[in-house]
Amino acid sequence: MSFREPLPEGCPPADAPILASEVMVYRLVRTLPPTEEDFRSQRAENPEKYFSNECLARGLSVHALRRDSEMATKLPNLKGRQPCAVRLSPASGHLKQTGKPSHHTWWPLASFDILGSISEVAA
Amino acid sequence: MNTVRHHATLFYYDGPQVFEGRDAIGGHYVGLLVDSGASANRYLLAGVAPERLREFRLGSLDLRALLMSNPDSPWFLANGDADLAQPLKLESQSSPWADCPYLPDAGFVLHDAPASSASLQEARARNNLVLELAVEPPEAATEHRIRARTLAGLLTHTQTLLKHAYGAALRELSIDTRKSLDRTDAHLMDVIIPAAPGSFRVVLEAAKGPDMLGQNELARALTIVDELFASTSSPSDTVTRVKNRRGHLAAAYVRLLKFLAVNRSGLRYSWAEPSFAVERHHALADKETQPIIDALSGIANLGSESLQLTGELDKVDRQNGSWRLLTADGAEAGKTKENGPSLEGLKIGSSYRFTCEEDIQEHESSGREVRTLYLTAHEPL
Repeated sequence: MSFREPLPEGCPPADAPILASEVMVYRLVRTLPPTEEDFRSQRAENPEKYFSNECLARGLSVHALRRDSEMATKLPNLKGRQPCAVRLSPASGHLKQTGKPSHHTWWPLASFDILGSISEVAA
Repeated sequence: MNTVRHHATLFYYDGPQVFEGRDAIGGHYVGLLVDSGASANRYLLAGVAPERLREFRLGSLDLRALLMSNPDSPWFLANGDADLAQPLKLESQSSPWADCPYLPDAGFVLHDAPASSASLQEARARNNLVLELAVEPPEAATEHRIRARTLAGLLTHTQTLLKHAYGAALRELSIDTRKSLDRTDAHLMDVIIPAAPGSFRVVLEAAKGPDMLGQNELARALTIVDELFASTSSPSDTVTRVKNRRGHLAAAYVRLLKFLAVNRSGLRYSWAEPSFAVERHHALADKETQPIIDALSGIANLGSESLQLTGELDKVDRQNGSWRLLTADGAEAGKTKENGPSLEGLKIGSSYRFTCEEDIQEHESSGREVRTLYLTAHEPL
């Protein structure tokens, strides 16, 4: 199984299963329609930075609820971003609920066509 | 120059976006990521009153109002790493809050619905996992009272159950995941409200705070404890659940039940992490306790665990059936049971693999656990 970017050993964690069915998640994007750049992990965006949890740094934050994504756009670092819905399927990779119930970390598979899975873009 | 250390992450999205900080003298700060640079991040920080911070954690105050709760107070910027592992050196800003270009929009709250229960409210207010226990011994029937010994026993048995539940949860994880966790003291709880109104209620919180994502290690243990209390109205279902958790956890569960039976009390508990939408809770009625104990009493070796030790034989007493092995983790001593393997032929100074049954009994007066290793097989290395 090949991931979108190289992951450290033991990542994704064993309790982050490959998706069993389709699920809709929301990712904050800079441009509409979104580009590949909107789905780069913290590590991919900052190759020189130190992260204490490399596995988390190579995952993507997404929300299960649109309203939580919208709430996040009130923060200064996320201001101007917009939620866009991505339909995830078993072919999309591993997903784990992390932090608040709606917040998940997604480790996409290399073969998954993210931009082709954009389901809707918030107005 | 004043510095602030990250204390807890309050909102995470591709890294900590909102967090709590503490300065060297315990002053409370709230911090926000304002710019994610290629080598360092830029953060906005402001000192806040603990009570206002508590309101923000509860979801009843929005972030902008929290930051501007004292419009004349200074605000700061600081450079820091992405995980906030190093202290942030505060750079005081002279302009008024109104000119601060990094303020969040109005309306950012941590929870958009009020807490539906007391334990969830406490978890949010403390930004930590909270467990609430309630017992109803006879002395609590007419007033808010409990025997000191009963309270001590309740806390000891609960803490022991959590310790073994956490051990069981860790065994389900891969070695890599286990290695990545900070497990030190992760199973410990502190009493924070020793006697809350109601039937005798005690409130505890995790001794160790949550991780960067706001999740607490102790939740693993409580999730397993929930399994054991999930169907207490059906002794046979509970027996199945406890048998699936054979070993020290099962033994600790049985000891807690026996303790409740002796003290003629049921048990109710609820727990929550700050991020929960609703608390999780279970109850065991006084009358349900004894049938479960009776059903579990017939199961052989329910509380024993098997383990293997390798090392050099340091001491052997064939007459008393006792031995001591020097393993890589230190000396381990044990016994053989009456029908156990013979110690004849074992040579001091030689290396062996000992297969043992580990038994834990509780010291009656102190409640301390006493561990005994019984040799079941040995082979030379």
